[in-house]
Amino acid sequence: MQFKDYYQTLGVARDATADQIKKAFRGLARKYHPDVSKEPNAEARMKELNEANAVLSDPEKRAAYDRLAQGHRPGEEFRPPPDWDAGFEFSGRGFSDSEAADFSDFFAELFGRMGAGRGREGAFRRQDAGFEARGEDHHAKIVLDLEDAWRGALRQISLRVPRLDAQGRVVLDTRTLDVQIPKGVREGQLIRLAGQGSPGLGRGPPGDLFLEVHFQPHSRFHAAGRDLLVDLPVAPWEAALGAVIPVALPDGSTLKVRIPAGAQSGRQLVVRGRGIPGSPPGDLELTVRVVLPPADTPRAKELYETMARELQFDPRAANRGRADA
Amino acid sequence: MHEDDVLIGVLLEDACLTLDELSRACSVPPDWVIEHVREGLLSVPGESPAAWRFSSRDLWRARQMLRFERDFEAAPELAALVADLFEELDDLRARLRRAGYD
Repeated sequence: MQFKDYYQTLGVARDATADQIKKAFRGLARKYHPDVSKEPNAEARMKELNEANAVLSDPEKRAAYDRLAQGHRPGEEFRPPPDWDAGFEFSGRGFSDSEAADFSDFFAELFGRMGAGRGREGAFRRQDAGFEARGEDHHAKIVLDLEDAWRGALRQISLRVPRLDAQGRVVLDTRTLDVQIPKGVREGQLIRLAGQGSPGLGRGPPGDLFLEVHFQPHSRFHAAGRDLLVDLPVAPWEAALGAVIPVALPDGSTLKVRIPAGAQSGRQLVVRGRGIPGSPPGDLELTVRVVLPPADTPRAKELYETMARELQFDPRAANRGRADA
Repeated sequence: MHEDDVLIGVLLEDACLTLDELSRACSVPPDWVIEHVREGLLSVPGESPAAWRFSSRDLWRARQMLRFERDFEAAPELAALVADLFEELDDLRARLRRAGYD
């Protein structure tokens, strides 16, 4: 286990006041908050910041940490001496199982046992005789391919789970789960895995694990809820005369779509019930995009010139009289 | 891997989480949820708390508001306002992606 310098994490001096710590945390939280930040490692950084803040903003934890930290450098191999926290009373805010799972081994080793066996506030008072409660729920993100919404998916998920060892210390185990994602899933939807959260207290049942679904960007399709949006490239004569156009769907099937004569570029066509499957299934929304053939041969040029001569077509007729016409 | 080792995920459809389930999933007491619904910061999901049913989206929003309240010590109204703005931002970004401006 490596020693963590929480002061360095927050960029404050060891004698920083509570106000300076709060200010530093808020400034960095604005920069790395996963809801806001575009930094690639924002989520990991935010966890580090929360962990450092959980210790340094709590006078009791900070005092205990300060005593322990003397003479240690960040990254250095570290093992806390037995009963290092003797003489400190951790009466402040505890932390939940789900928070503990986000924090480092270093934090869990130092503060994880607060409450365990001492009856104080904290998430780990598992041994309290006769006490019984449901375990906490956990949350994780899962990234799927759009195609998985049709066929379902089998995914492996690794989770860090806090557990008490025989000495009453908190250790973080890595648990790997194989999960079958049912078909019909949509962006932002939650998948519940019953009983896969934290273990219960006493005879209490375990919590649940919630997976939040995200899709990898797809080269052709966009999903909006269960609706599926796609551009439909057509030749000018298909748009002008009407046509039946084959559309390949993410599940590998092909749908034949009739476009009406005179369909302009940008016109939307909806095929009900052919979006992402579910109850009810989404719609397939096609946006017509007229693609011009290049006039790069004498014959192609001649055809365009014939149209120009014989069609009497003015694409700007609607703009007549306007200043920008 | 045996077939028995594979966990089957259950999709949470709209209006499916009870007040207790939502509170538990957010690690907050039910009073936190009730107060936020009464203040209009979370959508009102039915007549009485016992009949309330929340969606995936409600859970996502509640957890986002909690993060703002916790990490920035934001007032609930401010956390809700920021969550509203993010919802709109997500919607606009999705429209940009659909229009080919990734």
